[in-house]
Amino acid sequence: MGIVYRGCYHLLIINTSGSSYRKQKLQGGKKMKKRMARLTALSMAALMTASLTACGSGGNGGSGGDGSEGSGGSGGDKEITYWNIATEDVDKDIITKAVEEFNSNTESGYTVTSIPTQNDTYKEKLVVAMSSGECPDMYSSWSGGPMFEYIDSGFAQPIDDLFNKSDIKNKLMEAAVAQATYNDHIYAVPYLNVSLAGVFYNKEMFDKYNLKEPETVADLENICETLKKNGITPFALANGSKWTGSMYFMSLAARLGGLEPFQKAVAGEGKFTDECFVQAGEKLQEWVKAGYFPDGVNSLSEDDGQAKQLMYQETAGMLLCGSWYTSTFATDSKEFYEKIGWFPFPAAEASDADSTIQIGTVGDQFISFNCEGDKLAAAFECAEAHLSDEMIDFMTEKGKVPPVQGVEEKVKDPVAKEIVEAANSAPQIQLWYDQYLPPAVATAHLDGLQEVFGLTKTPMEAQEAMQKAMDDYLANKTE
Amino acid sequence: MGGKEISLGEIRQRNTRKVAALFLTPIAILLAVYIVYPIIDTFITSTYQWNGISAAKKFIGIGNWKTLLADSNFWIAFRNNVVIMVLSICIQMPIGLALATFLDFGGKKLTIFKVIWFIPLLMSSVAIGFLFTYALATNGGLVSTVSSWFGGGNIDLLGNPKTALLTVVVVMCWQFTPFYMVYFMAAFTNIPYDVFEAARIDGATRGQYFWKIAFPLLVPSIKSAAILSMVGSLKYFDLVYVMTGGGPGTSTELMATYMYKQSFSTFNMGYGSAIAGGMFILISMVSLITMKILNRNEEA
Repeated sequence: MGIVYRGCYHLLIINTSGSSYRKQKLQGGKKMKKRMARLTALSMAALMTASLTACGSGGNGGSGGDGSEGSGGSGGDKEITYWNIATEDVDKDIITKAVEEFNSNTESGYTVTSIPTQNDTYKEKLVVAMSSGECPDMYSSWSGGPMFEYIDSGFAQPIDDLFNKSDIKNKLMEAAVAQATYNDHIYAVPYLNVSLAGVFYNKEMFDKYNLKEPETVADLENICETLKKNGITPFALANGSKWTGSMYFMSLAARLGGLEPFQKAVAGEGKFTDECFVQAGEKLQEWVKAGYFPDGVNSLSEDDGQAKQLMYQETAGMLLCGSWYTSTFATDSKEFYEKIGWFPFPAAEASDADSTIQIGTVGDQFISFNCEGDKLAAAFECAEAHLSDEMIDFMTEKGKVPPVQGVEEKVKDPVAKEIVEAANSAPQIQLWYDQYLPPAVATAHLDGLQEVFGLTKTPMEAQEAMQKAMDDYLANKTE
Repeated sequence: MGGKEISLGEIRQRNTRKVAALFLTPIAILLAVYIVYPIIDTFITSTYQWNGISAAKKFIGIGNWKTLLADSNFWIAFRNNVVIMVLSICIQMPIGLALATFLDFGGKKLTIFKVIWFIPLLMSSVAIGFLFTYALATNGGLVSTVSSWFGGGNIDLLGNPKTALLTVVVVMCWQFTPFYMVYFMAAFTNIPYDVFEAARIDGATRGQYFWKIAFPLLVPSIKSAAILSMVGSLKYFDLVYVMTGGGPGTSTELMATYMYKQSFSTFNMGYGSAIAGGMFILISMVSLITMKILNRNEEA
């Protein structure tokens, strides 16, 4: 809206200066003309500036409004503001329930006000709120690079003491705590969902063509060939959103080289040009050329559901994505959901990397805290309320897999159960690259990979660009 | 009174000044707060290395600006902006002028066309972006469907780096041509009807009237419309952001989308500000130069 409005404003200025300019012309006064020309120039300059500031500080105006609505970051003495993205059904119910439970049972004297924000604009809003000193007392994020950025900037407090005294210490999965940890301190409480990258497939289709779940990447390629021969697109992928293609890349890289190359590259001890990354890119290009992905893969939009549409139309056989898709399928169509099977990404035969390593998030939403003392204790208590036994039952009922031990017994859904088992037996679970990496590196990764899919960049070029972004980041960091 | 006599005229003038100052204060404050200050602040921020949130900013002088000059992505974005600018002017204005002429000659009975042609401008850019993303979808989109009727395969316009930018330009033209239509229609009404009558009495055909009389009278409007279109293209953001997000790769990246990504997605507020500053300078330069050229031609 803002942009549109500003657009009109410019038009207005130019418009008026233009027409008065014309009138001057008719009168023919030369001096006047000059002055008008100068005036026009000035108004041009003015509107130019408007355009920049619009972009440069447009957000600030917005955040002011948000701040006052939410009574600001540290507004009321006994009020805790809690930002999250639970604007829609299931998540909204979960947060509302947890917050209500805290508000009615707490003895801390604090009350929590939940302020849900649309997912799309949440990150930007949070950034603007932080830069203008309106950071909420508690907020959820996806952990990884941005969370580390918040921590480094002093907008998240370590919660080791509170955490160690709490029961959630024994409740949460280790991998979940690992993803909430930064520089050996715990900074967040994961609560919502365990999601792994894995392949969903159409069971009916597999039966029809006598296919079974693959053990190796070669098996997977055979499946693709069979599907392709029968006029079916093997993988439903909408790579306009970029991170969707990264799922394939991460899975391949982890199977080819394990997690060590990635972890080393992040620490600055290795490079993203390691052969497992380049090979993963090459494999993807091989698949693109073989037609394993839909036409126009780079313009399909995940947000508009164009990948799942291919699954529903049964023109595609498999979909590799985060396991939140279980609930997506279940909500969209019960009937279709019955046809869905799941397997983790198969092992690469040429590699001795541990094929039980998984890529994914153990928690999905991580609550961080920007307050101290009693307030922090109260906010932490509210976060704990998200993980009460009652809440865990409630979440599993709603199709979520909260990152707690023993959740496999509560999950009834067969697909979700398989996913939990895979998570439990994984020695390590790496958070999504684009979430884990410093944002600038993540962007370089996603942009480069999209071009790899589009065959306009070689895998090596893409990895070099990613490494360059990483080098820049590390250089700035150590300065 | 020691020779300090004030005439009534002077008093009047002084009062006028006072009132003028009074009336201009609110807008002056608004401009200062929302335009002048942010610009200055943008330039100040561009000298820091800052992630946009932390309290600690590191002063790095012209470091960001050096990076900007050497940043191939920024120059690709600038080139894309220039492509959009040239194509917008070459496509939107002639069509807009043609439509306006048609409507002007046709009179009242063509009001229905006036309404229909104006509709694209009424829709929000974001809605248009979504609409066209569907229409241009590779599987089952409008273009692909038509192509398959004639035996062609699916056509991927937005996902192909070679066609993505042109496709976006076409959609932009669809959206903004009506604006120029209205603009030129207004210009036409500025031409007195007597001129038309006189020309007709002197035996001019409609074609002659348009080329020899109406068009020269429209030239000033065309010039300001061109500048308008130029500035609009150079700071363009919304459709591109919705339709391609700058991709695939950097093929549709614009200065504004690049700035947005740097500032907000990659926590690089200092550098984002440098990009904004770069845009400011580039756009001002391009428009000032163009205006100068246009005005000089006029004097000759």
